[in-house]
Amino acid sequence: MPSLTDPPSEDNCGTLMDTTRSKLSRILIGKSIAETVFVGLLAVGFFFTAFPPYFHGFGEARHDSISGWAVNNRAPWDRVEVQLFIDDRFVASGVANLSRPDVQQAGWARDEWHGYSFPVSNIGAGVHVASVYAVHKSGGGIRRTLQLLGYPIRFAVDENGKLADLVDRGPKK
Amino acid sequence: MNEATNDGVERSLAIWEILSVITSCLIAEWVITAVVGASSVLIIVPIIFAFGFMFWSHRLRGESLREIGFRFDNFGKAAQLLALPMVFATAILIGIGYYNRSMDFFRWRGGGAILGMPLLGIAWGLLQQYALQGFINRRAQIVWGPSIVSILVVAVLFASFHLPNPVLMAATFVGGLVWATIYQRAPNLFALAISHGLMTWILISTIPSSLLHGLRVGYKFIG
Repeated sequence: MPSLTDPPSEDNCGTLMDTTRSKLSRILIGKSIAETVFVGLLAVGFFFTAFPPYFHGFGEARHDSISGWAVNNRAPWDRVEVQLFIDDRFVASGVANLSRPDVQQAGWARDEWHGYSFPVSNIGAGVHVASVYAVHKSGGGIRRTLQLLGYPIRFAVDENGKLADLVDRGPKK
Repeated sequence: MNEATNDGVERSLAIWEILSVITSCLIAEWVITAVVGASSVLIIVPIIFAFGFMFWSHRLRGESLREIGFRFDNFGKAAQLLALPMVFATAILIGIGYYNRSMDFFRWRGGGAILGMPLLGIAWGLLQQYALQGFINRRAQIVWGPSIVSILVVAVLFASFHLPNPVLMAATFVGGLVWATIYQRAPNLFALAISHGLMTWILISTIPSSLLHGLRVGYKFIG
């Protein structure tokens, strides 16, 4: 019987048989692997929840607006909430629910109501960059994340306030 | 294997065991809370890993409940050792509470049952003291012997589980020092759990709430 002041090394947990050591090591390795897998799954799960890879879209500069379309492939009938940033500054928010039959015809969406258009005015002449993001809520609404739709849109504004897309998209059909 | 090598392997295993339990705690406090929230049922996973591992370790090492500290024969001795530091700490805390006019012994859970929450605190304290003393302290003693080093390791780890809450870290470091010292002299987890529950109640009742941050720790403290 160990006395009250005996350190564990003096009673039966001090020296271990080789087989016990080996078992303990295996349990420790197993626990480490299980926890690594668990944390990995959590990380991937969190990423899929907060930044689901289901949003697709496209945007371009037109004469007086930044327009495009946005689709959530996981919920193809939902209208995607979008936000416009110009030169990294928030400009406007809206819902992609305008008619874009070309998007449906090209097979990107199940229906045509996925277009958006943000009128752009009062912006200085020169070259700018617009980014349109899909807004996604998760965690029961405690989190909102933004994901870039397509690519940033480089455009120029002339003295009359007209926009010109600077991305070379090849010859127009 | 010669004795020196045996001893080295023994110590390494004990350190690994301590680190393994720390990892589970940190996953619960920082990863789960950050990723899915503290109220998620997933928080039980690292807790099951930690407690499952501790039980296995005790079993493999042949440690009995009595050796771990689930016993009553030395309850009186442990309580006697705890009395003086508890009276001293209580006096200081009441002094702080009186000076700040922040004393309210019904504060815990908005004035819920005066005995209910401390009793819950004792149960929660038993769980914490089991992991801290019944496991970490015992493994630290395998590595550093029953010494100030192993006591310090236990206190530092206990404080680090309360990162980044500064008041709780300070309180748990001091509490960790006292409880680890007493456990090495009289390993009785029931006495430590009662002390833990009562001191938590006194801490909450005396220190201004604004300094305790709702006892939040880990990601919850900043999140």
